[in-house]
Amino acid sequence: MSESKTPQPYDEAIVLHVSLTNGTIKREPLDKDMIAKYLGGRGIGVKTLYDNLPPGVDPLSPDNLLIFAVGPVTATSVPTAGRSVVVTKSPLTGTVFDSNVGGHIGAYIRRAGYAAIVFEGRSEEPVYLWIDDDEVEIREAGKVWGENVEVSTDKLIEETDAKAHVACIGPAGENLVKLASIMTDKHRAYGRGGVGAVMGSKNLKALVVKGTGKVAVKDEEQLDLAVKRARRLIKKNPVTDKSLPVYGTPVLVNLANEYGMLPTHNFQEGTFNDAEGVSGEKLLERLSVRTYRCFGCPIGCGRISKTYGEEVGGPEYETIWALGPQCGINDLEWIAMANHHCNLLGMDTISVGSTIGCAMELVQRGKMDASLEFGNTEGLLELIDDMGHARGLGAELGEGSRTLAEKHGAPDLAMQVKGLEIPAYDPRGAQGHALGYATSNRGGCHLRSYLIGPEILGVPVRVDRDRPEGKADLVILYQNLSAAMDAFVLCRFTNFAFTVDDYAEFVSACTGIPIDGHSLLAIGERIWNLERMFNLREGIDGSEDKLPPRFNTPLPEGGTRNRVVLIDEMLPEYYRLRGWDAEGRPTKERLERLGLA
Amino acid sequence: MDLTAEKLAKMIDHTRLKADTKPGKIDELCEEALSYEFATVCINSVYVEQAAKLLQDSDVLVCCVVGFPLGASITEVKALEAKEAVRRGAREIDMVVNVGALRDGNDDLVRSDIEAVVVASGDAHVKVILETGLLIDEQKVQGCILSKEAGAHFVKTSTGFGPMGANPHDVRLMRETVGKDMGVKAAGGIRTFKDALRVIDAGADRIGTSAGVAIIEDFRWAQYSDSWMQPDRPCWICPSRAASLDKQPKDVYLWYKQRCLVCPDRDENIFND
Repeated sequence: MSESKTPQPYDEAIVLHVSLTNGTIKREPLDKDMIAKYLGGRGIGVKTLYDNLPPGVDPLSPDNLLIFAVGPVTATSVPTAGRSVVVTKSPLTGTVFDSNVGGHIGAYIRRAGYAAIVFEGRSEEPVYLWIDDDEVEIREAGKVWGENVEVSTDKLIEETDAKAHVACIGPAGENLVKLASIMTDKHRAYGRGGVGAVMGSKNLKALVVKGTGKVAVKDEEQLDLAVKRARRLIKKNPVTDKSLPVYGTPVLVNLANEYGMLPTHNFQEGTFNDAEGVSGEKLLERLSVRTYRCFGCPIGCGRISKTYGEEVGGPEYETIWALGPQCGINDLEWIAMANHHCNLLGMDTISVGSTIGCAMELVQRGKMDASLEFGNTEGLLELIDDMGHARGLGAELGEGSRTLAEKHGAPDLAMQVKGLEIPAYDPRGAQGHALGYATSNRGGCHLRSYLIGPEILGVPVRVDRDRPEGKADLVILYQNLSAAMDAFVLCRFTNFAFTVDDYAEFVSACTGIPIDGHSLLAIGERIWNLERMFNLREGIDGSEDKLPPRFNTPLPEGGTRNRVVLIDEMLPEYYRLRGWDAEGRPTKERLERLGLA
Repeated sequence: MDLTAEKLAKMIDHTRLKADTKPGKIDELCEEALSYEFATVCINSVYVEQAAKLLQDSDVLVCCVVGFPLGASITEVKALEAKEAVRRGAREIDMVVNVGALRDGNDDLVRSDIEAVVVASGDAHVKVILETGLLIDEQKVQGCILSKEAGAHFVKTSTGFGPMGANPHDVRLMRETVGKDMGVKAAGGIRTFKDALRVIDAGADRIGTSAGVAIIEDFRWAQYSDSWMQPDRPCWICPSRAASLDKQPKDVYLWYKQRCLVCPDRDENIFND
């Protein structure tokens, strides 16, 4: 792409197939039918995985695939168009898994001329892939193997090009820790599901990309109009123009606490007495140095903080919660430093914090013997380091909360769905959000269907958070939209300002395919059902669409007291509206309608 | 749903009344009003000329507030402000009623105050803001009757600066009182299309809001699910829930709270929601 410098439309982008076993690199054109049915990103990743991965493959074996993918909107002028996804089979959940990141690398993959990079096999020695526009090379990575994310990133840029962007693993990925992330821009993460461990299992340290080409869209005029409109909508929206730019995602700490939905002490409580001390407001007053923007983002929710004299990325809301209230910790400086440790090691802060909180409760209840106590940070940074290096007790926790709690005879104390730790919203406080957790194809995730928007924030309108009625319908809408968004690929936060129709306009202008909101949602539905079929093929069925039993017991205090999750009332309706049978299997009719039969 | 985004936009007074408003915001407001084809832009009198110039030859009218937000100016000042606003290009006048007089039962003063503005406004339509959050129901009804007698064209719930915004109860009461011949404008706290549809259902035919763009844009979500309009709990949309002793006269506050005791939905008013 760099040689001609002719702007490249998405349907001319290349799919790279990199065999790490035999060191071959193959280029294939992007299948046009694939674009029409799956767009790109998560869609193409899931389809590739479904078609090429037989059931029962060990996620950390060479047979697993690791797919980096971007979409038709990537690197265009559409706000937040720098995101990318990784799709693989998760070693943490055993499910199909996509993990999504901001930063810049997605835009550079696309500018280099690629729609996806599919890694297969396993290298004998540590390597990294260096993409310099058309030039693609597997390089030896021995000198950065064992180094943390910052050092690795700096060295790889030094070795390649100052304009390159790096996605790499840290020690956690190298040591096959199931909570390992892939990091880019040093502190942005393809965070969840242990995707970093899959990368480590392939002896693949990093993907380094320099992309200098331009991307073409099919209808520039249509896109220009849509982008102008989109920018105006972001400026008009109080969340995208005020809350997120000023406080970042930690603005949610106080709000979640007021609603009694800030999980505390491993979800034993829903309010944290010291929430104010770890809030977005306090972060702004005490630690914030400047904001950080991902590629093409007019919102700028990222933070750079200063703690213990050091500038560090974040912390985000979910991280503050996981390393803070979840573990009973109220020391914001320490939380920022613990987040930094996780970033250096390349680990998912949500699962790390949640698993430590789980361990603390196991100790509290006499199920486990360790020097862990809610609210006590002593030794925790060392424990996090041990988790990242799979050492001692850290190795045990690095397997995630499900394995940990099962090992100690108390599986109910793991706050997870399908093996993935539930994030920072107590599901008892928002029925729709709870249903979203339970039915998520990748396990306990807030981003598959962020019903916190309507149920708590009142966006686009407020719906009664306690009513089960109508929630299945909204969860499906959000799940389908999220799947589509991860396929074209844009940031979730644009949801506050844009509607389905805006996204359809972007995709239509970029691809030239006439797509309206309903057909965009149909693409999302196709992706969602294919993921479901993947999981069913792996033996993960409707019996896994559940939440930990803790959520059948009401909280005693706070804004979410007196509530339990009414999953049994919502799930049958969800299956019915999905066109699935009573066991949660897609019916033949639905699969035929989606072109999946 | 019969209501289209276009019809909904035609019911909106696109509003900017904050003290920190700079001229650039009025330009933006007018551009948006033209783009979305709102009914009017609702602004303070200092910006009427600017807006009128920007909106000339369009269907979007300039609406100017008068005696705003307290309604406590002397009648002559209100009338002069209305007259000047009309001379400078306003085609609708939203005046604040003399709330103190209305609460005091001084019907003549309330009526004459409105009449003076109606006369001064000439052909421009006059909406009378009752500031319902400072009134009990009897006073709201009386405010509607006096507005009608004085020749006003609309009654309007709130300024957006008072203790309460618009709610279906007040809108319904006002519609029942004025009948079909007058307009009812709901204003204050209308932030989402659900808020808007709720007051329209209660009888409003005009909506005052600074969130007009979001309301119209977000209204497009409605086509993708009927669940947005699942009924809310009765207390959420009841003015008695919004009553505040800090913001309201004690008698008004207690009047609102006493309604809770005999409310048919009182069993819903438990715990935390």
